[in-house]
Amino acid sequence: MKGKVSLFVPCFVDQLLPEVAVDTVKVLRRIGCAVEFPEDQTCCGQPAFNTGYWNDARPCAEHFVRVFKHADVVVCPSGSCVTMIRTFYPELLAASSLREDAIALASRTFEFSEFLVKVAAVTQVGATFPHAVTYHASCHGLRELHLRDQPLQLLRQVNGLTLIEMARCEECCGFGGTFAAKFSDISAAMGNSKAESVAATGAEFVTAIDPSCLLHLQGILGKRQAPTRTIHLASILAQESPQKSRAQEQL
Amino acid sequence: MSQTAAQRFLQDAAVKSADLMHREVIQRGMDSYDAAHLKGRARIKDWEAARQKCQEIKREAINHLDRYLLQFEEKVIARGGHVFWAANSEEACTYVKNLATRLGVRTVVKSKSMVTEEIHLSPALEKAGIKVWETDLGEFIVQLREEPPYHIVTPAMHLNRGQIAKLFREKLDPKIDSEDPVDLMAAARRVLRQAFFAAEMGISGANFLVADAGVIAISTNEGNGRLCTSVPRIHVVVTGIEKVIPRLEDLAVLWPVLATSGTGQGITTYGTLIGGPRLSGEVDGPEEFHVVLVDNGRSQLLADAEQREVLHCIRCGACLNICPVFRHVGGHTYGTTYPGPIGSVLTPHLNSIKEFKHLSYASSLCGACTSVCPVKIDLHHHLLQNRRNATEAGATKSSERLMFRAWRHAMLHPRIYAVGGWSMRKALRIVYGLGLAGSILDPMRVWNRYRSPVPLPSESFRARWRKDRAAN
Amino acid sequence: MPQTEKAQTENSSRDQILQRIRAGLRTAVLEPAATGSDRVIFEPIKNPLERFQQECVANLMECALTANSAVSARQLAEVLQSLPEGEIFVQDHPSLRRLVEMAALGRAIRWSNQGAPGEASQATVTLAEALIAQTGSILVTASCGGRGASVIAPCHIVFAKIAQLVPDLATALSRVSQEQMLEHNSFACVISGSSRTADIEKILVQGAHGPRRLVVILQTGT
Repeated sequence: MKGKVSLFVPCFVDQLLPEVAVDTVKVLRRIGCAVEFPEDQTCCGQPAFNTGYWNDARPCAEHFVRVFKHADVVVCPSGSCVTMIRTFYPELLAASSLREDAIALASRTFEFSEFLVKVAAVTQVGATFPHAVTYHASCHGLRELHLRDQPLQLLRQVNGLTLIEMARCEECCGFGGTFAAKFSDISAAMGNSKAESVAATGAEFVTAIDPSCLLHLQGILGKRQAPTRTIHLASILAQESPQKSRAQEQL
Repeated sequence: MSQTAAQRFLQDAAVKSADLMHREVIQRGMDSYDAAHLKGRARIKDWEAARQKCQEIKREAINHLDRYLLQFEEKVIARGGHVFWAANSEEACTYVKNLATRLGVRTVVKSKSMVTEEIHLSPALEKAGIKVWETDLGEFIVQLREEPPYHIVTPAMHLNRGQIAKLFREKLDPKIDSEDPVDLMAAARRVLRQAFFAAEMGISGANFLVADAGVIAISTNEGNGRLCTSVPRIHVVVTGIEKVIPRLEDLAVLWPVLATSGTGQGITTYGTLIGGPRLSGEVDGPEEFHVVLVDNGRSQLLADAEQREVLHCIRCGACLNICPVFRHVGGHTYGTTYPGPIGSVLTPHLNSIKEFKHLSYASSLCGACTSVCPVKIDLHHHLLQNRRNATEAGATKSSERLMFRAWRHAMLHPRIYAVGGWSMRKALRIVYGLGLAGSILDPMRVWNRYRSPVPLPSESFRARWRKDRAAN
Repeated sequence: MPQTEKAQTENSSRDQILQRIRAGLRTAVLEPAATGSDRVIFEPIKNPLERFQQECVANLMECALTANSAVSARQLAEVLQSLPEGEIFVQDHPSLRRLVEMAALGRAIRWSNQGAPGEASQATVTLAEALIAQTGSILVTASCGGRGASVIAPCHIVFAKIAQLVPDLATALSRVSQEQMLEHNSFACVISGSSRTADIEKILVQGAHGPRRLVVILQTGT
């Protein structure tokens, strides 16, 4: 039994990519964690924070801290959201009465692959995914959380998976939150450059630890009618052998 | 009606983002830089230690800026040089212009200096009837094309040899029939040679102002900077006040780091140190030496404790080179003296936040710039701070302010958030079901312009969780 | 010069700027810089001569090792023979006077006491203050024939002795300070190769505005 994990589901995953959260729960349970989902959670505040509206982001952050205050460990399948908690909450809530709680919470909040490898100390999660996969190194996970190897360690243990290295895998996909809306031309151009790098690998799937990158890439690849599909790391790890997964329909 | 800088940026960005030929040229240039840079990094045993040291040197210099500037000034004056402190562009240009007219200067040769671009020195001199020759090859090329430099280190990287050959044919000599860079350089050399020996004044920048030795340090490769500072009888240095470093020995790490980050070289060909006019007994050298210390908003930035470290910048260009936004829109799109991440961070301080805040938003905050900065400036976090400063200064659209107010309300009330999310998905399903994706009724039309529509699941995660909990 | 003082008093912005700087620095607590000074940034140079020669090759410089002054003189003659006809500029120093005499060049010589090199000079010959192994550099000052001597002519020849070779930039710069070279010279330069540019398509072109050839005659004996 690996302990109790409180699941933090990014707002857009909750609404648009729920399977990422479903698969995160699956994997966590498989390695022996008890998973709870505090239902009062909404958003970490990143959209407002990144657009400069810190006064609007702050109450959201405080709400978040209150919701997760009693969690042993918080796990989230998104590098950018975890960055918000760990890197920016201490600054954003510097003058708040919840400052200490925020700092304490930050120290026990982990991105999904980070939790598996660094906290639970597992890289083999019993996954099977017999496909050619390429990896996009999402910026927040890479440069703010310093997660370079952990996702790759997990991917290398997946049964049947062929990992193909992408050229310029560390170059930004171009999503950047509100940047995608305010500077859509640049965002799309960056996305298309990334799509070209993906296409050059010939992989069937492109994966990452940030669902926002994948949402953006899914859209770009879809517009290009490219064959490569996006899939979150959690969804790869959630895949077991075909017989086993048929039995799994419930959470 | 004239456009705002933000509108112009959006327009230029749209054009450049779609320009695949431009992207290819830039990509090739950047690939070349990447390869060279990696080789350069390999020559330094502990790159992180080098960055740390450079950060410490600049922090010490900026933290005691007044002391080190005064030390530098004293030594220069003792050697017979002049030091002029210019509060802004106008004062700096006026000083140089008056000096030139007083001393009967008809021709000026210039080596590369971004500060002279910032203060628009060349137009000021030309208005006074003085001919200004840019002598750095890249600057010479863009001067002939009457456009600003594309990049702070390689001003003409957006052009290919064919374009440059054609330019030289038109502006220099119709007999130029080669596109070989060797021949083009030779052609430029022939023309500029005459300028070097005819000019009465040479203007240079300075990469560093060394306080303890009282000298300026210039890092170059071509030799044009050497000639500008050796041949004409007057040498004028135009530099920002933040270029100061405490000791000569600091160059032992700054020179290699600047070269590595700037071009991938271990060190630039010429590391020149100049402390004043020629001393008696010296074979040659200028008779007059003037250093113009330009403030132009820097002392203001100094007062911003959060962003003061932006003054540590050594203008290496590494952040431009790695920035994916720069790679897709190019240097001219920014419309500022300093493009790229450092430009986006710095320009609101040198100009106005209202006019140039859009540059801080034109970034995905990927953080690549911060990861390569040799003096460890936290560039992408400063972009975030500029965004915050812009909203606090009321410089953002009221519609956006209202939108986030509503967003906040929803996020503080889980039920409202859940209902809002469900409603949005429902509405989008209806809009798309009616085939109206991309129309004015589509709230996601900006998204849908370049991407296929987002997935619209029938159930959110929390709804599913609640349902499965109830079933057990 | 009275001009200087007049100019200073006319510079009213000077005090304003200094005031703003001081006020600006007061707005925050100045954190002391962390010292990671025990970390080694550059690999220590074990064999300076070998490193210098390697760097010369990488810098597209020519380095000729000579055993004694007779060989040095022959080397000088050889280099100059490969150049077009015309005068050469030589730094006026007893060791170079001797070298030039031994080389029996049969060319017009412009000594530095006659003035700076001009367009007529096919090459310049100077001493150096030091050679730097780490970067394959020569350190010159105004005393080495002036500023133009290392940049005007298409070929610059440096005559140096092995004792002048220092391992790294730090040592060279330290020597500049200790020997007060910048008190006695208005100019110094660390030169690490021939002039070059990559401004056109990032393609390296050797020989821009400065010399195309930089030759070091490095004498190991007397």
